[in-house]
Amino acid sequence: MSEAAIRITGMNKYYGRFQVLRDINLDVGSGERIVICGPSGSGKSTLIRCINRLEEHQQGRIDVLGTELNDDIGNIDHIRRDVGMVFQHFNLFPHLTVLENCTLAPTLARKIPAEEAEATAMTYLERVRIPEQASKFPGQLSGGQQQRVAIARALCMKPKILLFDEPTSALDPEMIKEVLDVMVELASDGMTMLCVTHEMGFARQVADRVIFMDKGEIVEQGRPAELFDNPKNERTRTFLSQVLSH
Amino acid sequence: MTAVSDMNTPRQTLNVGFRPDGLATRLRRRYFRTPANALISLLGMAALLYLAYHALDWAVLKAVWSSPDGTSAVCRDIAGACWAVIQQRWRIIIFGLFPYDEQWRSMLACVVMVVTIVLSCLPWFWKPLRLSILWCAGFIIFYVLMRGGLFGMRAVMPADWGGLTLTVFLYAAGVLIGMPMAIAMALLRRSEMPLVSRMTGALIDGVRSLPLVTILFTAALIFPFVLPDWLQGDKIWRVIIGFALFFAAYQAEIIRSGIQSIPVGQEEAAKALGLSYWQRTGRIMLPQAFRNALPPTINQLVITFKETSLIVIIGFFDILASGNAAYGTGEWSFAYFEVYIFVALVYFVFVFSLSRYGAYLERRMRFGQH
Ligand SMILES: Nc1ncnc2c1ncn2[C@@H]1O[C@H](COP(=O)(O)OP(=O)(O)OP(=O)(O)O)[C@@H](O)[C@H]1O
Ligand SMILES: [Mg+2]
Repeated sequence: MSEAAIRITGMNKYYGRFQVLRDINLDVGSGERIVICGPSGSGKSTLIRCINRLEEHQQGRIDVLGTELNDDIGNIDHIRRDVGMVFQHFNLFPHLTVLENCTLAPTLARKIPAEEAEATAMTYLERVRIPEQASKFPGQLSGGQQQRVAIARALCMKPKILLFDEPTSALDPEMIKEVLDVMVELASDGMTMLCVTHEMGFARQVADRVIFMDKGEIVEQGRPAELFDNPKNERTRTFLSQVLSH
Repeated sequence: MTAVSDMNTPRQTLNVGFRPDGLATRLRRRYFRTPANALISLLGMAALLYLAYHALDWAVLKAVWSSPDGTSAVCRDIAGACWAVIQQRWRIIIFGLFPYDEQWRSMLACVVMVVTIVLSCLPWFWKPLRLSILWCAGFIIFYVLMRGGLFGMRAVMPADWGGLTLTVFLYAAGVLIGMPMAIAMALLRRSEMPLVSRMTGALIDGVRSLPLVTILFTAALIFPFVLPDWLQGDKIWRVIIGFALFFAAYQAEIIRSGIQSIPVGQEEAAKALGLSYWQRTGRIMLPQAFRNALPPTINQLVITFKETSLIVIIGFFDILASGNAAYGTGEWSFAYFEVYIFVALVYFVFVFSLSRYGAYLERRMRFGQH
């Protein structure tokens, strides 16, 4: 974990006057698995969306895979191809089949030949255990299946970093496990992952580091065992007691 | 970020084990469930039959279908419809002022245009390359046939084109030029550069606040004074551009509303995959926007078809104006009703096919196909 995949230094972000992120400093090593948690509105989504520039930061510096994020569109598109993202609401393209969802970006953005892209897509659909749904449309799948397709779609770009924004929050309890299983498998393959989630079991199992955010700041970070069993900060303690009491 | 699009919810529409009842059973259930229900049904049916009989009596039983001597004398003192006027004058209605001996060209050109339109409705042609080839071929054949001056065909100026052929051509050309304009205007209006979006907005609002007649008038009669000669082109092209612009201003707003109803997550997901602006627009946003905006788009296409009749204002004889000419010669002037019914029937065939096609597309897209 020598080389940093992501390096954020002194980053501030505002929505108008309102400061969403305050003085964020974060280095993510290549292959590192990070879980971000914190109360609603604390800026977790905003933070990871800054990493693939779905949101722009105003101050400080963000380097992803050795490239600084600025207004250079070419750079941004390039980085986005190497940084996959999985959303809370899946955001599959409803007018394309599962297979087309998975092959669209590789053929267009990476210029991979169609047959090769399809073969890759089928491999990843098998890995997320839904190859038999390839010719269906997203609207015909369950939430858990859709989220697994979304993961496969991101993987088809062969990204170096994967961002997850609450991937299981929109799912029924019985579907959460099937998605988490896929994510655990990915983690054991050495993918660099940043995952916003409140699944503490998942965090304990795979995370190298847990980051606790509140009011736009990184309040505390550490190994999952340390942070969960022995939180130093008062705000962390309050949050954890609320989450765990559920 | 809390809105879950209904696209994302699973939906299953299978009627397993559903067996349709016989016709008699269905009729009994629907129309004769109670005595009062049966009475109303019977009265309704009697009224319908009465009206239908009278219409049939006029239009078929007592009608005169042809005039062997070519005069309107056969229609004197009859109680039914005088379809002889159509038999005698249909060429004017369909071909307008096109020279009599050359009307086979106009007929062929009209068929070519209609076939082109029908073919481009088939999903097989929905590839940019195939569509472009189809339409280029369609327009070139049409133009050569109509304009002539090649292959030993007599030249016929667009001012002499007319009837159904002119209506279909004006419509196809107007929509074909107008649709890309509409897409461009919708995208420019959504531009992040305030100047660009404001100016497009002003153009759209400007065009929409003018009556079509004014625009056609300007294109046909005023532009020749303001434009340099080499930019003027034939009057028919200026009229088509004006017509296309008018269509585009409305269609642009329809497309924009279609884009706006796409959940934000769609564009974000496309961005996150590294797709460029044009890839996102062409593959994710526009296909979904057209899907969302299909009913108003069909609506606009129907309205536009009927609006072609306004070009009579600037001296073109579309099918409606040609219809007026067909009975307006004194001899047949009593038969205007029959002529209008015939013209209405032609409009109906086009517009009704269009709306059935729209319904077919909607059904097809419900299952997410493209
Ligand atoms: N587009 C926006 N404009 C203005 N304020 C915003 C915008 N998006 C988010 N915010 C605000 O920024 C803050 C952080 O939002 P963010 O979505 O990052 O929180 P979060 O930690 O992901 O919360 P949750 O757990 O509910 O998803 C919130 O107070 C939110 O109201
Ligand atoms: Mg969030």
